[in-house]
Amino acid sequence: MVLMVKKAQRSFHNRFELLDAILLLILLVLAAMIVIPFISVIAISFATQKEALESPLLLIPMKPTIDNYYRLFQDPRILIGYKTTFLILLLGVPLNLFLTTSLAYSLTRTNFPGAKIIFYAILLTMLLNGGIVPMYLLMLQLGLINKIWSVIFVYGVNTFYFIVMRTYMTTLPESLIEFAKIDGAGEWYILYKIIIPLSKPIIATVFLFYSVDRWNEWFNGMIFLRRNDLIPLQLVLRNIVMDMSIVNSLSIAGPRVPRFTEGIQNATIMVTMVPVMCFFPFLQKYFVKGIMIGAVKA
Amino acid sequence: MAVSPDGIKKFDFKSYLAKTGRNIIKNKEKYLLILPGLAWYIIFAYIPIFGLSLAFKKYIAKLGLFRSPFVGLYNFENVFADPAFMESIFTTLRINAGRLIFVFPFPIILALIFNEVRLGKSKKILQSIFTFPHFLSWVIVGSIMISVLGQRGVVNSLLNLLFGTQPIAFLGTPSLFQPIVYLTDIWKSAGWSAIIYMAAISGIDVEQYQAAEIDGATRLQRIWYITMPGIKSTIIVLFILAVGNLMSGGFDQIFNLSNAATIKVAETLDMYIYRITFRGSVDFSFSAAVSLFRSTINLLLLLVADRIIKRVGGTGLLA
Repeated sequence: MVLMVKKAQRSFHNRFELLDAILLLILLVLAAMIVIPFISVIAISFATQKEALESPLLLIPMKPTIDNYYRLFQDPRILIGYKTTFLILLLGVPLNLFLTTSLAYSLTRTNFPGAKIIFYAILLTMLLNGGIVPMYLLMLQLGLINKIWSVIFVYGVNTFYFIVMRTYMTTLPESLIEFAKIDGAGEWYILYKIIIPLSKPIIATVFLFYSVDRWNEWFNGMIFLRRNDLIPLQLVLRNIVMDMSIVNSLSIAGPRVPRFTEGIQNATIMVTMVPVMCFFPFLQKYFVKGIMIGAVKA
Repeated sequence: MAVSPDGIKKFDFKSYLAKTGRNIIKNKEKYLLILPGLAWYIIFAYIPIFGLSLAFKKYIAKLGLFRSPFVGLYNFENVFADPAFMESIFTTLRINAGRLIFVFPFPIILALIFNEVRLGKSKKILQSIFTFPHFLSWVIVGSIMISVLGQRGVVNSLLNLLFGTQPIAFLGTPSLFQPIVYLTDIWKSAGWSAIIYMAAISGIDVEQYQAAEIDGATRLQRIWYITMPGIKSTIIVLFILAVGNLMSGGFDQIFNLSNAATIKVAETLDMYIYRITFRGSVDFSFSAAVSLFRSTINLLLLLVADRIIKRVGGTGLLA
């Protein structure tokens, strides 16, 4: 009997090996399909026009050059893009964190009048939203069109992140807060000296959530900001890639020199993407945690 | 709540008020903390929701969002008379129904493969590769796709080297638009969506697998009879969400992948709203009517999907 089980196990094991190989192969092919576009973008951004035209498959440039990047930074739009996006990050993320943290803490326990109604009213906004049309008219009426504040205020609290943070805070031991209250601590003291230090992991997570969202900001910028000196980086990328007008807008080298449009476009993708790449290791670590907390709640 | 002499509980308004008042005073700092966030929700979430009432009004810029005069269903008559509106609804349903069929199962399969495949540390690296595109905006992904799927892009180069095919204008061919929407959607988000399923799989009791192994279940049998039932509820919840998004979703993607050549097959409801609101002759009341229609349908779809799932015996999404 024992022998039979062992035998059976071994035969399974052999079959597993084959299945493993197949699965691994599938995974590797899929991974290649994700990686190759990135390699291609990197390669073209560092390639010369000659090489891009002649090489049948350009994945590693033989004569790498930073010419494309040099020309890209001659375009004033790219600096405007960086400036605008950093402004959005600098003003926006602290606002996001302030609103979300204060709301999450004060609604951790809904045992006071009105708290439940407010909580459910917030949750309801996940199902209902007015969309862009009334939002645009609201911004128009508030006089925020063409001002950076429109993009800052339109994204104040992300209800999903609010839930994630609140869920985390409900797991903190209530006795700590009770003891502090007996000692005469007020809500502000409790929030700053007890809750925030204990919630550091979740605040870091939500901080990264918001930072990525703000970095990737483009739609609101496209709708609310229609000034040439206030364009988020993502929209600069969109403008450079989607319209070929870069050829005309670059007048520095004169019209005679043939410009490598694709090289500049891919370089733009790179300068927009690389910051996300740099933060990706942290992102991944925290995002997975965040999504787990969210999933537990759901 | 006071108890009267005859033992029947009676609602004592006075003491209720006093108790509530005491409670409010006791928690006054909490209200102060709620205030900024609540103000934000009122101004930037609820005012736009109520602003959709513009659908029943004629927008006059001087009077603004809330004082413009009512015109009844006039705007809706115009909306339903616009053939482009009806066309956009069909386009949206076509694209999103396809998503349910082609895109939705992919993360589940990916999670199952990841769970089965036996790799050491390289598993983490692979997982990172699959997750990374999620963090890029559709502007970036769209730009990458324009570069990669272009006439001289790497995909055409590879196809040419492997099969000798002529360059294909992937993004300029209307009939290829829908498949490309699905493929790029999978490319960007399948790895990320798989994480949720992998979390669900890791919650399954290991003893079940051991017991099955002893009973001589094959690996596929274990996947089918243990793993799949284990993640059933997760699949159901995400499916409800996907159904609730049948009329929306994907604006960022479609906006950044479509161009003049494909706009005919790419004008979903959201794209239509964008076009009529911010391009050409602007009629905000008309746009609001379309938006209200869209929000209503979305909510109804979500509620119906939730009800169906509950009928079938799942836990459902809404309490």
